[in-house]
Amino acid sequence: MSVTATPAATGALELDPQRLQADELKRLLAQMITVRHLDTSAIAWQRQGIIPGYAPMQGQEAAQVGSIAALDMTRDFVFPTYREMGAAYAAGVDMAEYMATHKATWNGGLHDPVKYRFTPIQTVIAGSALHAVGWAHGQRLDALREGREQTDLPASLIYLGDGASSQGDIHEAMNFAGVFKTPTVFFVQNNGWAISVPTEHQVAGGSVAARGAGYGLPSVAVDGNDVEAVVRAARAAVAHARSGAGAVVVEAFTYRRGPHSTSDDPGRYRSLEDERRDAGPDPIERLAERLIAADELTESEVRELWADAAAFEERTREAVAAQGPRPGAEMFEYVYQETTPVLQQQAAQWREESDHA
Amino acid sequence: MPEATMTANTGAVRTGTQELSLNKAINAALADALEENPRALVLGEDVGRLGGVFRITDGLQERFGAERVFDTPLAESGILGMSVGLAMAGYHPIPEVQFDGFTYPAVNQIVTQIARMNFRTRGALPMPITLRMPSFGGIQSPELHSESLEWLFAHVAGLKVVSPSNPHQAYHLLRHAATMPDPVVFMEPKSRYWQKGSVDFDTPGDLTGSVVAREGRHLTLVAWGAMVSRCLQVADMAAEDGVEVEVLDLRWLKPIDAEGLARSVARTRRAVVVHEAPKSAGLGAEVAQLITEHCFGTLKAPVERVTGFDVPFPSGSLENEYLPNADRILFGIQRVLEYRRG
Amino acid sequence: MAEISFPLPDLGEGLIEATVLEWLVAEGDQVERNQPMVEVETTKSSLELPSPQAGTVVRTHGEPGDTINVGDPLIVFEVPDDTAGIVGTVPKDEAPKRRVRLSANLDDD
Repeated sequence: MSVTATPAATGALELDPQRLQADELKRLLAQMITVRHLDTSAIAWQRQGIIPGYAPMQGQEAAQVGSIAALDMTRDFVFPTYREMGAAYAAGVDMAEYMATHKATWNGGLHDPVKYRFTPIQTVIAGSALHAVGWAHGQRLDALREGREQTDLPASLIYLGDGASSQGDIHEAMNFAGVFKTPTVFFVQNNGWAISVPTEHQVAGGSVAARGAGYGLPSVAVDGNDVEAVVRAARAAVAHARSGAGAVVVEAFTYRRGPHSTSDDPGRYRSLEDERRDAGPDPIERLAERLIAADELTESEVRELWADAAAFEERTREAVAAQGPRPGAEMFEYVYQETTPVLQQQAAQWREESDHA
Repeated sequence: MPEATMTANTGAVRTGTQELSLNKAINAALADALEENPRALVLGEDVGRLGGVFRITDGLQERFGAERVFDTPLAESGILGMSVGLAMAGYHPIPEVQFDGFTYPAVNQIVTQIARMNFRTRGALPMPITLRMPSFGGIQSPELHSESLEWLFAHVAGLKVVSPSNPHQAYHLLRHAATMPDPVVFMEPKSRYWQKGSVDFDTPGDLTGSVVAREGRHLTLVAWGAMVSRCLQVADMAAEDGVEVEVLDLRWLKPIDAEGLARSVARTRRAVVVHEAPKSAGLGAEVAQLITEHCFGTLKAPVERVTGFDVPFPSGSLENEYLPNADRILFGIQRVLEYRRG
Repeated sequence: MAEISFPLPDLGEGLIEATVLEWLVAEGDQVERNQPMVEVETTKSSLELPSPQAGTVVRTHGEPGDTINVGDPLIVFEVPDDTAGIVGTVPKDEAPKRRVRLSANLDDD
C-alpha cells in the first residue's frame, strides 16, 4: 500500500524518508482505536446526560494521532481547536481533565496546559494560531538569550481546519510566522466540512497548503487518513521548524465522519450516500488491514485493542461522570493573578447571598 | 554561533528628579522597564527604527537591540495574538497599538484571549501584557485616531485599565503596569504628550487608586487622561467665582477606586464626571452609580455627566464642538450647584 | 531634533518624474511653510514648489538638470522632535476661553 503525499507546487516539503516500523504503527493503531472508541462513546455520554455537548472527531484519528507522534512532548507545545480529543490523548493529556470542558465543568478543560504542553481547547476559530507563532518566537528569543544556536528549537504545532483558513488571524499568523521565521507547524485538518459548509465553498483555490507559498512557507499536502503519511509529513515539518528554517504548513485531507457537534444534524446538508462516497477509507480499518496483511498483527490482537479501548473509556466515563461542579469561589479566584477590591467585594457578596449547599 | 545576542541589561534605572514631557516620561519608563526586566519586550508597528509615530519608543531599539524592541507586520490582531504566545513563553510583552481606533481589529484577541487566558487555564498561563495605546482626541488627527476605549475595556473581565494624566504618573504607572502579572490597557492621553512636568523617579507615590489633583470643598470633578488638565483649568475658573472645585484624577478605570471617589464626594457632596467618550453607557454612568451607592444620603444633587456626544468622533474641525470644553463643564457644575430637591 | 524627508509629489495626473531647474533654498537655510523652494520642470509644465513646512534645510536632492522620480526624496528638513511624524497637530497649551459664569448660594455648605 502506498503512502500518499501531494506536495504543493511551490516550496514543497518532502516527506520524512524514514518509513515507520511495524511496532510504531501498532502503537499508533492502539491510540487510534482508543480515541475512536472514546469519541463515539462521548456522543453516547451526551445522549445519556453525562455531558451536555461534544464535538466529535471520528475520521480524523490518523491526522491527530499521527501529527502528535512527530512531536517531542517534553519541549514542544500544542495549540488545539475544540476537535482535538485524539491529539490530546496522544499527547498524554489526562482525558477526564480534558473532557471537563465538554462536561461544562471548566471552560477549556481542567488539565494543566504547562504540564501537558497542550493549551486549553480553543472555541474561537483560528484564535490560537497567533499564540503558536508568539510562543515559537519566544523559543527563538530564549535561544538568543542563552546563546544557543537556532538549529534545535522547540516547535509549536497549531491545529486548524479548512473553515479556520478563512479567518483573518490565519493570514496574520502565517505572515508573522514567515516574517519572524518562527518554529511553527501549521497543521491543517481539511475534514471537508465547517459545520454545514463544504470545503469547496470555503477554501478558494482548494488547498490551504498551497497558500504557504505566498508566505514563503514550505508546505505539504497528505492523505490524512493514512497515518504513516501523516507522521512522515509532520516529522519533516517539525524537523524544518526545529532547524531554524521557519514555519511550515501541513494539510492533511481527511473527513469529518460525524456531525459537527452533538447538536448538529448533518442530514440537513449531506446524505449518507455523500458520506460513503466522500469519506474515503476508514483510517483505522485501513491500518489494521495493512498490518494484518503484512503478518504484523492478528485479528485477535485487534479485538484486544478494542477491548482495551473499552476499558479505558469506562474509566474515563466514570471519572467524567464523577466530576461535580467546581467551587463557585473559583469564578473569582482565577480572573486575575492579583485580584481587585471590586472583585473581592463581589465575591464576598456572592458568599453572603447565594445558596452554597 | 547565533547570528545575534540579546543585549545584556545593566539593571540601572533612573533616579532623582527630571523635567520631562509626558511622551519622554513614557519613553523613560519603557527604557527602565526593559532595563529592569530582561524578559520585557516592546513590539508594534514602527516601534523600532522609527521610534513609533509619536516617537514614544525612540532610541529603544538602538539601546536594547532588535530582538527586544521589534517592528511587527501591520496587523493589530497579529500584534496582540503574538503577545499572547510570548507571554505563554514567559515574556512580558509591551505591545503598542499605534492609535486607539486601530485596536478594533484586535478586540477579538484582547477580549476572547488575553482577558480570559488566566481564567480558563486556572492561573497556569497568566497574561502579563501591557498594552500601550495613544488615546483620546485633541490633536485634530484623522478618523478613528481619537477614540476613548475605556467604555469597552473597563467592561471586560480580566483586564485592568489605567490612564495617566501627567508625566510623573505616566512614568510610574507604566513602570508599575510593566511589573504586573495581569493584562493592563495603558491609555496614553496623546493630546498631553508634549505637556512637561517634574518626574520624581524615586517617589512614585501610591500607584493603585485615584489621586486628588486639586483640593476643593464645594464639588468634585471626576476625570481621567487628558480631561484632568481641562478640569484643573475649569477649577481655576470656578475659583474666580468663589466655587472651590476638587479634581479627582481617577487614573485606574478598571478597577475603579470606589473608596477614593466616596471619600472625595462625601466631603464635597456634589459631583460632575467628565469624559471624552460618548455619554450613553460610558464610564461616567459607572462613576455616577458608584457615587450614588456610597454617597446618596449626603449628595446635594444628582451626579452630572459632561461627555462627548453619542456621535462618531467627528473630524478635526469639529473636535472642539465634540469634546467637553470649559463652558460645558461649567454649565454642568452650575446645574449641580443650583439643583434643589422637590 | 528629527529629520523629515519630503519626496517629490506627483505634480500632474500620473507624472513619474520632474527635472530640477533651480533650487531657491540651500542647505542650512531656515525656511517657512509655503516659501518657494525649488523650480522644476515636468513633461507638462514648469512650476515652483512651495515648502511643505517650516524647518531647517538639511539636504537637497538633485542638481539643476537632474531628473527626480516621483516618490524619491527631494528635500530633507530638520524639525523639533515634538513636531516630527505627528498624525495631527500638537495642541497649543493656552488658557481656554470661558463664557459661563457660576452663581451659587454656597452658604449652607
